[in-house]
Formats: sequence, C-alpha cells, structure tokens
Amino acid sequence: MNPFNPAGTTANRPTSRPAVVGGLLAAALLLSACGGTAGAGTEPAADATPVSGGNLNFALSVDRGCIDPQQAGNNDAIAVARQTVASLTSQDPKTGEIVPWLAEKFEANADATSFTFTLRDGATFADGAAIDAASVKTNFEAIKALGAKATLGSTYLSDVSAITVPDAKTVVVDFSKPNAQFLQATSTFTLGLLSPAAAALSEADRCAGKFSGSGPFSVRSYTVDKEAVLERRPGYSWPAATNTNKGEAYLDTVTFKIIPEAGNRTGSLQSGQIDATAAISAADVALFNGNGFSTETRANPGVVYNLYPNESSPKLKDTAVRQAISKAINREEITSTLLTDADQPAKGVLSHTTPYFTDLSPLLAHDPDGARKLLDAAGWKEGPDGVREKEGEKLSFQVTYWQSPKEVLELVQQQLKAVGVDLQLKFTTIADVTAAQADKTYDFSYGNLTRSDPDVLRTVFSSATARGGSNLREQLPVDDTLGEQAAALDQAARQKLVDQAQETLIKDAHSIPLYELSTTISASEKVHGLTFEASSRLDFYDTWLSN
Amino acid sequence: MIRFIGRRLLQGAFVLWAAYTVSFFILYLLPGDAVSIMASGDEQNAVDPALVARLRSEYGLDRPLPEQYLIALVKALQLDFGISIKNGVSATAAVAEVLPETIKLAAAGFALAVILGSALAIGAAFSRNRWLRQAFAALPPLGIAVPTFWIGLLLLQFFSFRFRLFPAIGNDGVASLVLPALTLAIPTAAVIAQLLSRSLHRTLGEPYIEQIRAKGASDALIHFGHALRNAAIPTLTMLGILVGNLLAGAVVSETVFSRAGIGRLTVTAVNSRDIPVVQTLVVLAAAIFVLTSLLVDLIYPLVDPRINTARRVSV
Amino acid sequence: MPQQLVRPSPAQTRPGDPAVEGTGPVPTASGPAPDVSPASPGTPGTGRRAPGRAAGVGRAALPRLAAASRRLGRAPGLVLAGLVLGVVVLWAVVPGAFSSWPPDTGVPTDRLQPPSAAHWFGTDSLGRDLYSRVVHGAATSLAATAVAVGVGLVAGSLLGLLAGSLRGWVDDAIMRVMDVLLAIPSLLLSLALITVLGFGTVNIAIAVGVASVANFARIMRAEALRVGTAVYVEAARSAGVRWHTILLRHVLPNAAGPVLALSALEFGMAVLSISSLSFLGFGAPPPSAEWGSLVAGGRDYLVAAWWLVTLPGVVIAAVVLATNRLSHAFANPERNRT
Repeated sequence: MNPFNPAGTTANRPTSRPAVVGGLLAAALLLSACGGTAGAGTEPAADATPVSGGNLNFALSVDRGCIDPQQAGNNDAIAVARQTVASLTSQDPKTGEIVPWLAEKFEANADATSFTFTLRDGATFADGAAIDAASVKTNFEAIKALGAKATLGSTYLSDVSAITVPDAKTVVVDFSKPNAQFLQATSTFTLGLLSPAAAALSEADRCAGKFSGSGPFSVRSYTVDKEAVLERRPGYSWPAATNTNKGEAYLDTVTFKIIPEAGNRTGSLQSGQIDATAAISAADVALFNGNGFSTETRANPGVVYNLYPNESSPKLKDTAVRQAISKAINREEITSTLLTDADQPAKGVLSHTTPYFTDLSPLLAHDPDGARKLLDAAGWKEGPDGVREKEGEKLSFQVTYWQSPKEVLELVQQQLKAVGVDLQLKFTTIADVTAAQADKTYDFSYGNLTRSDPDVLRTVFSSATARGGSNLREQLPVDDTLGEQAAALDQAARQKLVDQAQETLIKDAHSIPLYELSTTISASEKVHGLTFEASSRLDFYDTWLSN
Repeated sequence: MIRFIGRRLLQGAFVLWAAYTVSFFILYLLPGDAVSIMASGDEQNAVDPALVARLRSEYGLDRPLPEQYLIALVKALQLDFGISIKNGVSATAAVAEVLPETIKLAAAGFALAVILGSALAIGAAFSRNRWLRQAFAALPPLGIAVPTFWIGLLLLQFFSFRFRLFPAIGNDGVASLVLPALTLAIPTAAVIAQLLSRSLHRTLGEPYIEQIRAKGASDALIHFGHALRNAAIPTLTMLGILVGNLLAGAVVSETVFSRAGIGRLTVTAVNSRDIPVVQTLVVLAAAIFVLTSLLVDLIYPLVDPRINTARRVSV
Repeated sequence: MPQQLVRPSPAQTRPGDPAVEGTGPVPTASGPAPDVSPASPGTPGTGRRAPGRAAGVGRAALPRLAAASRRLGRAPGLVLAGLVLGVVVLWAVVPGAFSSWPPDTGVPTDRLQPPSAAHWFGTDSLGRDLYSRVVHGAATSLAATAVAVGVGLVAGSLLGLLAGSLRGWVDDAIMRVMDVLLAIPSLLLSLALITVLGFGTVNIAIAVGVASVANFARIMRAEALRVGTAVYVEAARSAGVRWHTILLRHVLPNAAGPVLALSALEFGMAVLSISSLSFLGFGAPPPSAEWGSLVAGGRDYLVAAWWLVTLPGVVIAAVVLATNRLSHAFANPERNRT
C-alpha cells in the first residue's frame, strides 16, 4: 500500500468547514472532531420530497482504468466504486461513530484482537447470491490475496490471523495483535462486499467493472478514460444507518464522465452538460456560489498534505534542519493564494474532520527568523547565491510529486528560498513518483492519505510498517506510541496517545504538514442530497434530481 | 493495374514491418528496461518483483535478443501487441475502443480543413478587392505558425466561455465536435490553402486556360471546372502526410477538449509508460499512412488522366 | 502536430533526382514549402514558382542572403521578422535587461492581475510577473529548440552523407529506415521516444530532433548524390583525390545551403513541437518558465485570467511566424522584391 498515493487525485481542494469544533474539546467530545456540516453535501432542502428518476452527469478528472472497489486507490475511482458496494458498517460523518449497515450488530473483544459481526437478513448481491457470513470471509480473503493490488484494503487486514464462520449470519475476524482501527476499516468502500463470484475473476475483469456488488447501484457500462455508467439496483433495501433513503436509489442512472481539463469541467457545469463535479479548480469555484449552483466543501479526514523528509539522508537526519524547514513555511499564504476560501491550512498532522483531531496550529506558526537561527546554529551559512551551505555542500533538496495544484510546492519553494533553503521540484507522473519512492533516493516525498481514523498516522509514519514509513528513519519512541494507539479501545486513552504522537511528529518535524485536502462538490441547484460520507467520499444513494 | 496494386501492397507491408521493428527496438531495447518502466508505472509503491518476472516472460525478454524480437513479431502479426499495463486489457483492444471517436474527429477536421482551405485559396485568387485578397493571403502563414493547443484554448475561451455557443467538452454529440474539429482543421486548412493557391496561380496562367477563355467559357467554369481540378492534384499527393498530421493534431485537440480518443490515449499511455499501447499507436499511424498513400495512388489517375499509374510507379 | 505538415525536402522536390526513386510510401510528388510570407502568394508572373523550388534554390543561400539584406528596405515584413527574432534572442541572453521582475518569485497578494503598466502581461496565480516569465523562459525554449535542430542536423546529415556517398546496401538500409520515420507523424514519434527517455526539456528536445532526422538525411543524401556525379568531382576522383577530401571540399560546402535553409525552417517547427510537448506536460519542471508550459499553466484559469494563456501563445506564434518568414527569405530571396 502506499501512503503517498493519497486517494487524492481529484482537484480536490482542501477546505475547511468553519471549524465548528474550533478548539476541540478533544477527550470530552470523544469522536466529535469531525467538524463541519459534514454529511450535508448539496442542499438538503428538508422540506422537499425526493423524487425518483433521472440521470445525473458527474465529472471526474482522471481515470486509472480500475473501478473495482477493492483495488481502487484514487478519489475519482472511489467515487464510482463506493456506490457499487455496501459495507459491514458505516461511519457517521458528524460524530465519527461506527453504525450498522450490512452488519446489524458488531462487537470487539477487550483487547481489540477479535471482532464479531452479525449480518442482517435479506441482503443480496446483484447476481442474486445471498450476503452471508461465508461471502464476507471470501471477500476478506480475496482482498488479502490481492496483496499490493488492494492498495488500501490489504493494510487493514494485514494482521488477520483467522476468519471464522460460526453460522450463516455470524463472522468472526481475529487479529494477531490489537487492531482498534478495524471497525472503521469495515465501513470503508475498500472492504465493501462483492459477490463471491468476483473472487474468481481476473484482476483486469474486476477493474473493468464486471463484478456484482452489494450496493445501491451496479455498473451498467464502463469505457476507460471516457465514462462509467451506474444504474439503480432494483430491490436494494439495506441502507446504512447514516442514510435517509430507505429503499432503492432515487436516480435511475449516474453517468461519470472523465473530463481531465479543469476548464472543460467548469464550462460543462456552466452549460449543464454535467450536473455536478467535485473537481472545479480553485479559481473557478466562486462561479458556482449561487447563480443556480451550490458549492459544498468538506476536508478529507486523515493525514493532510505533507512534505515527508527522508531521514536516511544525512542532511535531513538533522532535526534542526527539518524544524527550520517547517518553520519557514507560511501555511496561511498557501491556502489564501492558491486555494478556495473554504480551504484550511494544516492545523496538525491530521485534518480537522478526522476523529481524535486536535488543533496543534501553534506548533506550525510561520517563523522565518526562527528558521534562520536554527540553520545558523546548525552550521549552514548563506552562500553567494543565497543558498545556505556547509563544508561545500548546499542546503538543497528535491521533491518529486504529481499532485495538483502544482503551484502549492512552487510557493513553498519561494518560502524556503527566503531562508536560504533550495527546494528543487520535479512535477511528474505517478509512475515516476512511485519509481522515485521505490528506490528511496528522494529527499522529500509529498502527499496525503485519506482515512477517517487516526490509525492512518501509523500507516504513514511508523517505521515498523512494511516499507519503513515515509521517513525511512530508524525506530524511535514515537513508533511505540503509534503502536499503542492502535491497540487502545478506550477513547480517552487513545486520544492521549494520538495527541502525543502528533506532537512528537510535528515538533521533531518528521511531519511537515502543509494544508488539508478537501473535496468540494459544485452542483447545479437541481441536484439534491449528494452527500459526503465520513471519509469525504461521495454518496449518491440519497441523491435526487428536481425538475 | 493489379501488378501495381500488388506492388504497392508489398511496399506497404514492408513499411509496417519496418515501423514495428523500429518501434520495437526503440521501446524495448533502449536504456531503461521496458519491464521495470512498466512495472513502476503501476500504482504500487515498490516495484513488484513477481510482476516484473511475469512481464519478463510474457514479453520473452528473458530470452536472447533475436528470439525476443521474433516472438514479438509473430504475436504482432496476430495483432497482439501485448497487454496494456494500465488495466490489463490488450493494447489493441484499448486502441480499438477509442479509435471511432478519433475517426469522427479527424473526418470532421479534414472536411472543415478542405472547406476552409479552399475558400481561402479561392478567395485569395479571385477576390477583386486588393485588401481582401491580401487578408486572405496572410491567413495561411498565420495558421501554420500558431500552436494548435493555443488555438484550442482560445476557441474554448471565446466560443464556450464567453459566448456559450458550443459545449466545453468532448464526446457529447455534434455540437461538441465543432470546436475540437476546428482546432484540428486550422493548421491543415492553412496548408491546403497554400498548396491550392500556388497551383491555382500556375494553372490560371497556362495556355489551355487561355484557349478555353477564347472559346467563351464563363469565368466560373474556368475557375472551378479546370483550374481547381488541376490544382487539387498536388494537394492530393500530400494527403498521406496531412492525414498523419491530423492524427498527431488529435493528440493536442483531444487533450484540450477532454475528448476521449486515440490522441488522449497516447498522452495517458506516455504518462503511464504503457509501452504496448504506445507501440500499437505508432504502428497504427504507419498503417494509416500506408493506406492513405495507397488510396492516393489509386485515385490519382481518376483526377488526372495524364498520369499513367503503372508508369508513375516505375519512376 | 499539424504545424509540422510541410517539411519541404529538396530531395522530394526534384522529380528525376535519384533521391526520389523508390523511397517507399512517401508521396514523391512535389512537397511545397510552406508559404510563410505575409505577402500574397504572388500575382502571376512574379510569384509563380515550381512547387518545391522553395527549398531547392537555397543552394547558394549565403550570397543570396547578403543580397537579400540589401533589399531589406523593400520588405518590411522581413525586417519585422528579424526584429522579433532579435528581441527574443536578446531575451534569452540578457533577460535581466528586459524585465526587472524576478521570474520565479512572486508577490502572492498581487496574484492574477490583468495586464497593466506595471505588469505588461499581468500576473499568474502566485503573483509572478508573466512578462518576466516569458522573457526568462526564452532561454529554455530557444536552447531546447537549438538542441532539437542540432540533433536533427548532425544525425540526419551524417546518415544522409553516408547513404549518398557509400551507396549500395548502406544507402538502401538507411533510407528505408528514414522512410519509416517519415511515415509516423513526428509528434507521435517524439512521444514514443519520450516514453523511453523520460520527461524533461533535454529529453523532449532530443525527441523532437530525432523526429526531424529523416528530413535532413534526405536532403543531405540528395546533395551527396548530385555532387558525387558532377563532372569536376569525377575528375577529382580519377585524379586520385581521396574520398574524405572530396567530401570536405565538394560535398559539404555544396550541401550547406539547402541544409541550412531546412534548418531555419525546422527551427520554427521545433519551437512548435517543443511547446506542444511542454504543454502536454512532458517538459521542464516548475518553476521553469518554458513557453509551452506557461500556456499549459494558464489553462486552469481560462475563465479567471485570459492573459495567462493568450499572451505566451502570442509570443510563440510571433516567433514561429518570424522564423518561417526568415527561412523563406533565406530560400527564395527573389520573393522579397514583391
């Protein structure tokens, strides 16, 4: 799996809901940290009665050729895949609480090593097969078998020791070590259930949408790089507790059109060729405030956009250098210059919609003088070209990235230049980025990772993970904290551990957070009930079109 | 005539073979092991050794060079150019899926180019107003010098955003074809206008035109019946190159207008280092060129009876 | 891309020349030069030319260029073209003399300002002066173009020279490969090369250069063949003059004219190709200001900031127009009289 392969391909802009939970009453409110009107999506219009029918045209910006929910890793593919599967559980976007979906009951044992799910009756896959305990087992085993292909899912299941099926309605998942994140994982699309027949399909066929899912829509057609059409699944009647709709989806079909150019998406939404999109460029978002349109933004939960220093390189092993770089960054300037009004600078390693979020912005203040002092003290003196150097070596770093808007790092480059740090940018393709990360020669890597659970910190930063964490550093005490947090079922205890880990990551600048990735829905006003789920993924189940 | 066609077909087959061979050597044998490039093109963090090994044996790259090439060639003869690294469908299928969209675009672009180009050339040759004539004549050089992507973006800016006349995206019916086709047509129209103008001038000065004029044929008849027909010949010989370049222009036009087609497929294939797809596209371009050239050779005698096809080939 | 449509090659333009024989699928009929002159195609009498004569007459280009310069006063278009290119070359050499704004450090609060007296081309999304970025980008764009033309010129000429002087199977082999290169649209060929070479300005320059090798090879081969059969060369050969001396004394000087004329034309085409590839995202990394990538960077702001796309595009078009005009004058000086 790839923590750098954020599910963040869309031109999603970070955003911030006027931090409803401003100061974060962390421990007290427990999971309430997912602030904002999350879940609102397009105008809920409480007085309007949903009508059935119609086709919704939705624009996506990229297509990597795979809409299999268990393999998909980028936001655009997820927008399609999410609608085709139901999950065992769902997560309340307002509270972060895990609520029933396909599992009407679920419980964990005291040390979070064993989870028992009791399935509801009557749910079926699109090919008619019943959603029973055996099918859950088949799915989870298939995801493990996909290995690295299941970018996200395989990490959720990596420590599974046994999956047992005591009866047709009950499935028990055992782990070799404590795994507090697992309940949240079962609410994600990636552990969504496909018909057992799908397990026998080739990876390519699954990518092409030839599976039968369990969700409110099924795949009617999929033409790579052109469009994917979903149609309403007749007889769907097992909604998540978080949905308002209780029966079949309102929309007859949803057509996802692949429109790579930002200008084309803007134009198409204006002219009505598409009804909604989550990928309007920041410069154009304001066009869709009013005038027959609505705009709704929600920050993606999880680890915000970060520069991850490679601490196996001598220059970045020095904590002072990393701290100086973090101090030199003006996060406010990034969001106010390049992003929308709804976007927020990073206030910690986690974004403000993540459960267990704590506002750590005082640790992330812009302090160029402090940065200069640190670098001076560390022996990096300004050279003739303004770039600092020590013993003939320049304080110069390279970052290889593909995420848009690419100007964000250009601005960071300017900000670092002001304190004598040279940041070389290599804006390229995902292929080149993964290649650069694979050979571990990079100075900085860049990215986010969306997940509505603080365990995402461990996924990204722990040196104990398979790939050695994004810092490529030796083991440090913070790795223990990250491990303990994953085992803590008590919410107050977990909060404390998460805060502690975040503080260390920021203070020692293992994490250099920049801004919160957000998803912004821009939609025509005839679109209603297009909502965000807890992970800021789009949910079309409650969506309907007025005439 | 049959011998002629047979010979041209053989020549065409040779070009296709050579195009395949050249692209094979460029793509698979240049530095940068094709397989690791492809394997890293996948969305995984680390290059998966199992995938590398599988691809290696799939493409026969673990074998000696001549053997590799022969295996690949035999597969290519069965239209098997390998598996697209992006989603595991065959490269030929990936190309075939979007090819119709590009054919539509190129056909519309070509038709527009011929209309625009001829109009400009005729306008330049026959308009009586000196200023108008100069304006007509100044346009083609301009059309050749402006970047295609820029034309596309300007058209988008004016006709889609400012005046809301045409849709801003791709594959949505006839209206959505107009701007991409126009983008594609402008440079080609410029070339056609230049070729036609030049031929028109030459033709209009030839003695037989004088004879026809003396016989009292009307101006219009001279213009369109004779001059244009003769003037079309040099243009026709450029057809192969013009069509090839429409294809290349589609790369830009489809990108600017977010239109699905082989042009955009090319860009995504290059981006994801999808070598099988890139090779398929290169060979397809060569095939189109060969077919167009053949077509031109067959049409040629119909347009210009003075040319004896059989003799022309032996030149 | 379509702009590369017409690459006149003298080899193509002289029916009867041995170079034309059996060169495969390439249409052997006239390959007219682009008429890039802003003047009209000419009134009958002065403007009538055999198709393709354009590049063919470049043989004695150097003295003609001198003559052309004397006539400059009568060709305002040519003067303008020269001025445009002169200014752009100066941009590349001394960018600081043309703009006081830094090209890659902006003032974020001044972002997306329309053209004004302070910012002639407006500012971009980071508040950088667009005019300054165009000026500073000239060096990258022109250097890449020069590399592209250089690669095509050197590799193509060598291959053409080999083919034309050695004849026989070497000739056949080389020219068949060149035919294949001509059968593939050059943008596609460049893209295929980029797949393997990777991205970056140097790589796209090389890819564009390789795509133009065939044109240079054909023209050089034609020259080598023509000179090789000339009477005085036969005489020299029978007098025992060594082949490399013949090559240096006779073939190369004679070929210089047409090859240079083609280089000038290819220069304009290369500017377009390189900017297209940069536009598609295969070029220089940010914050570099290559012209094509400037246009590409502006396309997310089509609605919000028209100048970001429009103005750098005008510069590209002006440079290509000017180069084409000059190369045309270079090849047909007589046209400047009209």
